[in-house]
Amino acid sequence: MLGAAIPFYILSFLVLFFAYKTITSPNPIHCALHLAITMINLAFIFFGLNSPFIGGVQLVVYAGAVMVLFVMVLMLFDLKTEVRAFSRGLFSSFLKVASSGFLAGILIVGVLMSTDMLDVTSDSVGVGVKATSSTDIALLLFNQYVFAFEVLGLLLLLVAVGAVAVSRIPGGTHAND
Amino acid sequence: MPMTEAFLNVGLNHYLILSALLFTMGMIGVLMRKNVIVILMGIELMLNAVNLSFISFSSYSGNLNGQIMVFFVMTIAAAEAAVGLALAVAIYKRYKEINIRFFEQLRG
Repeated sequence: MLGAAIPFYILSFLVLFFAYKTITSPNPIHCALHLAITMINLAFIFFGLNSPFIGGVQLVVYAGAVMVLFVMVLMLFDLKTEVRAFSRGLFSSFLKVASSGFLAGILIVGVLMSTDMLDVTSDSVGVGVKATSSTDIALLLFNQYVFAFEVLGLLLLLVAVGAVAVSRIPGGTHAND
Repeated sequence: MPMTEAFLNVGLNHYLILSALLFTMGMIGVLMRKNVIVILMGIELMLNAVNLSFISFSSYSGNLNGQIMVFFVMTIAAAEAAVGLALAVAIYKRYKEINIRFFEQLRG
């Protein structure tokens, strides 16, 4: 019991700490690096939840590819530390943080009140189950979800073409003004 | 000691609460920051929080469909990051700064 609790609390502390650093660092490069560390910690949480395939995909796709994309664009811009990183207005900032905290409170209370109604029991059903192999996921993905998978491939192709088209227009998206 | 019991016996609730807190962090980042790229990072945080709740539900109910959904969410997130960064490049070409307030000039 304690052996499962200690890694969870360490990892969740690290996730929340680096997520906090992600949204508060004034330098966008530091934001990107803290976000990468958050992704890596989340991948380890996924490993702990008996889903090693998704954890590996998280490491490769998120902490690898997407973060490299972010850092490359940031280096393209050559940004210094921002003078004004946050939106102005003390009252509106307070309102934003307060409403977000309110949302978090609603979510947490909802979770605590509704998990009794769910079928899953709270004490470690998933821990005893063997880790899901990539074979099971592949069988599901290529049988039941194969149409969605193909549509996803088409979407990625469209997005690649669209991203190149948007960023190659000289002078922004409305050059004819 | 029921309180210590609830702390030590890590279950589905703990992962869902972590997911809710992470989602809130991302939401505060999206609302508070001015830089478009940092706003995209906040969106990534929110998507990761959703992934975490999908994975924990999938693991605790023994149903693999949640993991397939996470796979799709990751792909959509990569596509969204690519389009958002392309828009950021378009803004930077015109205004030499990537501030969210320039988005209102990007009509048409």
